Amino acid sequence: MKPTSSIRTRFAYGFLRAMKRLRNRRRPAASSSSSSSSAARAAFGRYRKLKMVADASMASAVGSRRAWSRALLWKITRRQALVRRALAGKRRRSGGDDSGIRRSVVVENEGTQDHHHNQSGVAQTDILRRLVPGGESMDLYSLLGETAHYIKCLTIQVKVMKNIVDFCST
Amino acid sequence: MERITGAEVRSASCGEKPEVIPVESLQFGEEIQRLMTPENGSSFTALLELPANQAMELLHSPEAQPVEDWTCHCRPYHPDSLNCTPIFPSDASLLERASMFSVFATADNSPESSSIPPNSSSNPQKVKAEPLDLDSKPDSSKPHAQNSNQKSKKRKEREKKGNGNGSAKMSKRCVGNETSVADEKLPYVHVRARRGQATDSHSLAERARREKINARMKLLQELVPGCNKISGTAMVLDEIINHVHCLQQQVEFLSMRLAAVNPIIDFNLDSLLAPESGCTTDSSHPGMGMPLMWPEGQFNGNRQQYQQLHHFDGFHQPVWGREQNASYLNSENSLLSYDSSTNSDSPNVLISFLEEKLRK
Repeated sequence: MKPTSSIRTRFAYGFLRAMKRLRNRRRPAASSSSSSSSAARAAFGRYRKLKMVADASMASAVGSRRAWSRALLWKITRRQALVRRALAGKRRRSGGDDSGIRRSVVVENEGTQDHHHNQSGVAQTDILRRLVPGGESMDLYSLLGETAHYIKCLTIQVKVMKNIVDFCST
Repeated sequence: MERITGAEVRSASCGEKPEVIPVESLQFGEEIQRLMTPENGSSFTALLELPANQAMELLHSPEAQPVEDWTCHCRPYHPDSLNCTPIFPSDASLLERASMFSVFATADNSPESSSIPPNSSSNPQKVKAEPLDLDSKPDSSKPHAQNSNQKSKKRKEREKKGNGNGSAKMSKRCVGNETSVADEKLPYVHVRARRGQATDSHSLAERARREKINARMKLLQELVPGCNKISGTAMVLDEIINHVHCLQQQVEFLSMRLAAVNPIIDFNLDSLLAPESGCTTDSSHPGMGMPLMWPEGQFNGNRQQYQQLHHFDGFHQPVWGREQNASYLNSENSLLSYDSSTNSDSPNVLISFLEEKLRK
């Protein structure tokens, strides 16, 4: 069915399928909200989910061959489990949204600093470990290898997503 | 047997040295020169290329050898002269003996580590390093069956110690000469170590590891655009970190854009996904070999079909506009039925989908 299954093709297919699934799931839930204030929140929620979907589809396209993809997939499944548990708990209590969980998740990711100047205070390898998923528990040699593969896959992801956005916005 | 005893004798003689350290006397010089003979000889060997078996005979001769021969010949003794090949003792016997020693040393992989004329430096570290080397080498030479590794290590050590002495250039050149004559095929790694660094296998392994890491850094430099001109690990790492962070930010922005555009585009995406899943008979675009291009090609085809349908029925547009707001259930049903019909060609799928929409 698919011709040459490179990372690019696998990612493109997986991403589009996941987006479709996302929209299908979202539609019945979103029918209730129609005010403008919740539209922004809905957009933000969509953005977070879409980003997670992009990362997950990228990691699935790579498979479990690479340490960073394994770490990324594990992180996402763990996050999903947390969100689901919190959602279930909140639904029992009230009909509120789960923005609290998402905010805490967002805060987690704001730890990266400005990288435009030489990082002499904090070790550069530490920053790299934080950037590359799963880089905390790797020696320097494998960290560099994972960084190289991660950069390659990120460029693929950016290209595919840019094409999709360019098409959809015209 | 004989070799081991010879080594032991030499080590015994070295064992005396730490006590004699501060004295740069003739005696000390003699002891050291006795030690130095293997290293001297190695350079001679490179030129003479004498067979190894002769070394065995001459193993005992140096002990019997009168010391003054060495001293008188080696008195104009500065590090350069011993490290470099041009200056030889004029005595033929000495030459022979020296060469034998060197052959013995290289053949056995036994201590030629005392490549430096240690008498020039009253550095206790180095002197102690020699007995350690002498003691360790006979033991390590047997388990280490890798002659080449030993030799390269020794060359590294020689270079280190040569640097330590300050005659860095000369020693390096001489070392280069030796290697060019003796072993051309070794993966010779020029490693510059600081003075007084340990010469044991740990630091060597570390150095090998560092070489591996530097090779990977070069690969990364090629991956990251604009990194080739930067020199220095720190700057390169900065660039890499910057690049990774920028790519991650780009993914975030693109997903934000997609999320903003999302409610409008579901139609197109569905039609996009249909041909992708049942696409063997699709002939509207050249091939799936270029996945980045195929969405655009496919969408162009779809858009044309959309336009044609617009011509036919004007109220297709309000149907699409309504879809976002009200008819969620309808669209969901249509999507479900749409999914079932994904095996056909793209235009058929599109038409069937539109028909369903029209029905509702």
